[in-house]
Amino acid sequence: MSLIGELFGKSPFGPLVEHAKKVNECVKLVRPLLEACVREDWEGIHRLQDAVTKLEYEADVVKHEIRDHLTRRYFLPVAREDLDRYLHSQDEIADSAQDFAVVLILRNTKIHPELVQEFSDFVDQIVLVSETLTNAAQEMDLLAETSFGGAEADSVLKKISGLGEGEWKADRMQRKLGQHIYRLEKELDPITISFYEKMLRSLSGIANAAENTGDMLRAMIVKS
Amino acid sequence: MEWLVAGSVVLLCLYMAWTIGANDVANSMGAAVGSGCITIRQALVIAAIFEFAGAVLVGSDVTDTIRKGIVEPSALAKSPEVLCLGMACALLASALWLHVATWMGMPVSTTHSIVGAVAGFGVVAAGIQAVHWGKIVSIVASWFISPIAGLVLGYIIFKFILRSVLTRAQPVVAASNVAPIIVFLTTLVLAMATLYDGMKNLLKPGGALAAWATGSRAIAAAVVVSLVCAGATWLLLRRRAQAQAGLPLADQLRRVERLFIPLAVMAACSVSFAHGANDVANAVGPLAAVVDLLKHGVVRKEVPVPLWILGLGGVGIVLGLATYGYTVMRTIGKEITEITPSRAVAAGIATAATVLTCTRMGLPVSTSHCVVGAVLGVGLARGLGAVNRRVVRNICGSWLATVPAAAGMAMLLFVLGHYFGVDVFLKQLMPALPPAP
Repeated sequence: MSLIGELFGKSPFGPLVEHAKKVNECVKLVRPLLEACVREDWEGIHRLQDAVTKLEYEADVVKHEIRDHLTRRYFLPVAREDLDRYLHSQDEIADSAQDFAVVLILRNTKIHPELVQEFSDFVDQIVLVSETLTNAAQEMDLLAETSFGGAEADSVLKKISGLGEGEWKADRMQRKLGQHIYRLEKELDPITISFYEKMLRSLSGIANAAENTGDMLRAMIVKS
Repeated sequence: MEWLVAGSVVLLCLYMAWTIGANDVANSMGAAVGSGCITIRQALVIAAIFEFAGAVLVGSDVTDTIRKGIVEPSALAKSPEVLCLGMACALLASALWLHVATWMGMPVSTTHSIVGAVAGFGVVAAGIQAVHWGKIVSIVASWFISPIAGLVLGYIIFKFILRSVLTRAQPVVAASNVAPIIVFLTTLVLAMATLYDGMKNLLKPGGALAAWATGSRAIAAAVVVSLVCAGATWLLLRRRAQAQAGLPLADQLRRVERLFIPLAVMAACSVSFAHGANDVANAVGPLAAVVDLLKHGVVRKEVPVPLWILGLGGVGIVLGLATYGYTVMRTIGKEITEITPSRAVAAGIATAATVLTCTRMGLPVSTSHCVVGAVLGVGLARGLGAVNRRVVRNICGSWLATVPAAAGMAMLLFVLGHYFGVDVFLKQLMPALPPAP
């Protein structure tokens, strides 16, 4: 009834911070998953996969809430399409982390001892790229406070400036790891190789999604 | 026996003032309560003080417009009881329309209602030529222009706050330097509205103080008062700012809103003040006409509105927000949680400046529409997470609906009153009226 009561819609930027936090927690479980796989702790992998699935679901719930409140009647400080694509990309990070966990529980795949160090380094790089993004993303409420401009926007842009290079490094590590796997093909059975492929694909999916999210975030800031 | 007539109009006027106080408190205090600056009870106390102050100090200009600026009283000089009946009908019609619209869930403006009602009865009672159509045109124009002015001001002020505080590398330090400027601006707006060629009804006309408080001296006094307040603000804030100067940007940004809290409260006070000044006339304008009529037989042109009438309206408004205001604020406060103090400051100052300017020009405007305009201005400056565009459509709809509805109701009531001889009855109650000069 009162005009002023109807005027304010729910800001999506607080929930976006929450979404980034949930995605970050998903990705934090990737390293433990790899370590459990190396130790051949198949029970541990199942527990971790449950945890990742639950976190990914919670992130989805936040995502749906944001989408529910973003009807066309509301005017936003950033372009709606940019916000949608950003949210979609950020959600893909969590999806890829969950894919990795699912790959590990489908089959008790042992990691060849010669590959352990490279897998570990690859996972470290992936997690670094993702955390760079989610740390910047968790300042979304501060960005909204400064209307996506000024010193805060510069600071966030600086934080995500390394994403492109980080993702390129991850790609390079993935290629090297792939080549190493095929050098060992006589010692590995084909299904194991196929599962290594699935693992690599889901892991690099995390880094790719993180880099895309960073691009969308940059678009939101720069266009303001 | 004329006190019977005056008494019933007084009651109607109090009732209208009560409605105004109850319904409109969210416009002034909503942003401050929603952003967590003050509790609802504190808001009601502050609103009571400033609404009353605004009504008494600055309320006479718009009251003058309603009592004699819309319907030319001399057109009814021969039959003052008709004017009495008409003003009473206008009040009653307005109050009724407010209830109907509230019951139907429509947003409604007390200002639009009373102006429509007074014009309506004027046309029916005294003919089309008795209504100051030029004034009506400027009033209606102000209804369109004031929300837009609020929007522009809200945009500019928030952009200023962005550039000077929020986008800086050290927001807390910047805030302590900019807060005095904001205090200066707000105090200047309030002081100028009160002092510049104002206070006619508080100072004895022709007295020494009245002669002193005009023109450039009034401006100077306003500026001095504002500078003093600004200086006090600066002194109070510098120590805190220096203590927090070394913090990283993220921490400073999370703390800077707290520095805006007192400013947001001040902005809310100024909106309350402006609302009291502009809207008290909606209740007491008709009463002022009736009282003048009963006392002097004619509505005189140059006499200021009596202080007790403004005070009565102020009391009515305070009663309204004291009794019903808590419920209204609690409902609406839940819907306004997405605003922060810095945005509330921008919207509040924009609204107060717009409404007070219109008030001093004698134009009755809708404070609700100005508030919406100011908030939309802040939204356009990208200050708000999500702003409902449909509210604009509601405002346009209410423009189309309220004035005809209130005018129609007033006309109907007046015609009924005339038909049932209420005005003849009134004439018998007013035998001792002095002859019109």
